[in-house]
Amino acid sequence: MGFFLVMKAEMVRTFIIMRRYWFRTITGMIIGYAILLMFVLGVMANRQVVEQSIQDMTRGQDATNWALGFIIGMFAFGIIGMFTQGLQELAQSGQLEQLCMSPHGLVTNFMARTVVTSISNILTSALMIWLISRSVKGTLHADFVPTVTLLALTYSNLIGFGFMFGGLVLVFKQTGQIAMVVRLGIFGVPVLASERVEQLPILLRIGAHAVPVTDAAICIKYVLIQGQMAVNDAGEEVFRSVFTHPSFYYLLVNCVFWTIVGVACFRLMEDWSRSKGTLGAY
Amino acid sequence: MSSRYLVELDHVHKAFCTRHFLQRDEDTGKRVFYKKRTVHAARDVAFGIQPGEIFGLLGPNGAGKTTTVKMISGLVRPDRGVVYVDELSVEKKRLEILKRVGVVLEGTRTSIWPLTPLENLVYYGNLKNVTGRTLKERAKQLLEFIGLKDKMNIQVRRLSRGEKQKLAICIALIADPPVILLDEPTTGLDVQSSRNIKDKIIEMTREQGKCVLVTTHDMHVAQEICDRIGIIDKGRLIACKPTEHLLELFSDLVFEIRLDRLPPHAELSGIPGVRNVEFLTEEGVPTLVVWVEDDAAKLSEALYATIERLRQGRYLLRGVTQRQQTLENVFLRLTNTAPTADSAPREGESAETKQE
Repeated sequence: MGFFLVMKAEMVRTFIIMRRYWFRTITGMIIGYAILLMFVLGVMANRQVVEQSIQDMTRGQDATNWALGFIIGMFAFGIIGMFTQGLQELAQSGQLEQLCMSPHGLVTNFMARTVVTSISNILTSALMIWLISRSVKGTLHADFVPTVTLLALTYSNLIGFGFMFGGLVLVFKQTGQIAMVVRLGIFGVPVLASERVEQLPILLRIGAHAVPVTDAAICIKYVLIQGQMAVNDAGEEVFRSVFTHPSFYYLLVNCVFWTIVGVACFRLMEDWSRSKGTLGAY
Repeated sequence: MSSRYLVELDHVHKAFCTRHFLQRDEDTGKRVFYKKRTVHAARDVAFGIQPGEIFGLLGPNGAGKTTTVKMISGLVRPDRGVVYVDELSVEKKRLEILKRVGVVLEGTRTSIWPLTPLENLVYYGNLKNVTGRTLKERAKQLLEFIGLKDKMNIQVRRLSRGEKQKLAICIALIADPPVILLDEPTTGLDVQSSRNIKDKIIEMTREQGKCVLVTTHDMHVAQEICDRIGIIDKGRLIACKPTEHLLELFSDLVFEIRLDRLPPHAELSGIPGVRNVEFLTEEGVPTLVVWVEDDAAKLSEALYATIERLRQGRYLLRGVTQRQQTLENVFLRLTNTAPTADSAPREGESAETKQE
């Protein structure tokens, strides 16, 4: 109940600010689209200078693959940022103290806050993916159920991870730069994530699966770009649901793991922060 | 704990550790690689606040006022002792207690500036579990009560500092909590805004029976609105009394005797019970200021003896008054930052300067 109440309040607040600053909202979206499109077109036009692994991007399909990874990366970057830089900004503005003093609890407040921001991110990102895909003549297979399921799992995976960093920021206000490095890392992973992860040495493979966006990006690309079509032993393309894809199970495990670890870590840190006297303060 | 208090601190202790690297040591002047310092924000602090009472918490910077407020609101956990709100332990029932406490911490930063005051109140109301029509009606009532009704649809960033402060108070009141904690509510405000906020604090306490804790540096605010005052210094509560009792604390110690001329120092030396004498010329009237012992018997002996010496010297007595204490004087005396009888100028030391 409390969660939905806070979510409603956050939605109203976000909507009012978007509407009140409509020019900033629209120009932000146009600039985002233009930058991304120029980036993709730039890579396509200069295939000799980019690495061999992405040379075949002249194909619209692969360019979309790359752009999709970029957008998932941006999404992840944004969510982790809400828990790191976002928390610091809230502390600076004094709003964090009020959130900490809300009877719903800080975890519920933050969860609702990220859900609302993520919904608005997903909507704008979906629009951008579609526009980019149209612009470079790529194709997207928007299968509703798997797409929504995967986005929800990716989201909860990321917020679990974000909560862990958010907890650190609650106690140590100077983790901002480290958090930025982590955000950049999380941003880069979806761009490079592919099924070739399985060919990595065992330790690297475990590390790659433990990162919250690797399997999420593989699954989303599999649904949206490959249309859930896999090549069988006979070399034929056959439909194989994403729900049977190994990365989907890694994503599920990852999701449970990071949500439990992240929220537990955040609560512990919140508690420690109260003892240290830094809760809500900048 | 006593059930007559809505807020009670039961021997609360809080210390903060700060770690310093490569800093110069204050004692030796040498640079040290690592030093851990402990700052005591609350040492055995114990007081209670009744419903319908305004309690003022005064203290110099870093004395532990804000920490005390934060401990009551659950933002800081005490190392020892228990804080009770409405008979519930803050430690055990923190989320429950947050429904009963409204806090203004450095108010102007609380509100969301792109939103209007009404939108701010609706947003924070939801966060504090107030919903629907009740919330909107309460928000409008509060804006009217505080005097922001005309500006309820103007973005907060366009409001003045005083108006933002008023809005912060409304935010603290939106869930209608019985306990209000105001951390320096009038700091940085002009006289009119400060007056207005003081009136509103009195109004909500007297009319709505709220229990209010105010921390402030402004002695006039404290003297004017507080029923009881606690003075905190270096984390220790050094006084906690009703305001009028606090004002009486030192008033019996200093007497001003107006004369036709000032006597030489030697004439008044060695009077039993007199701790110090000082000579002033106030508005052209020679005045003798006498500090006497804080003891009823010694006090009258000292005064009789002083007047007897003056009579023998044929000085014309133009009046004797007891120096009225202000809260500021009491505060300075208690926190040892004002000249006391002991630290006041000794006989003859600065008499000329003072007379000038």
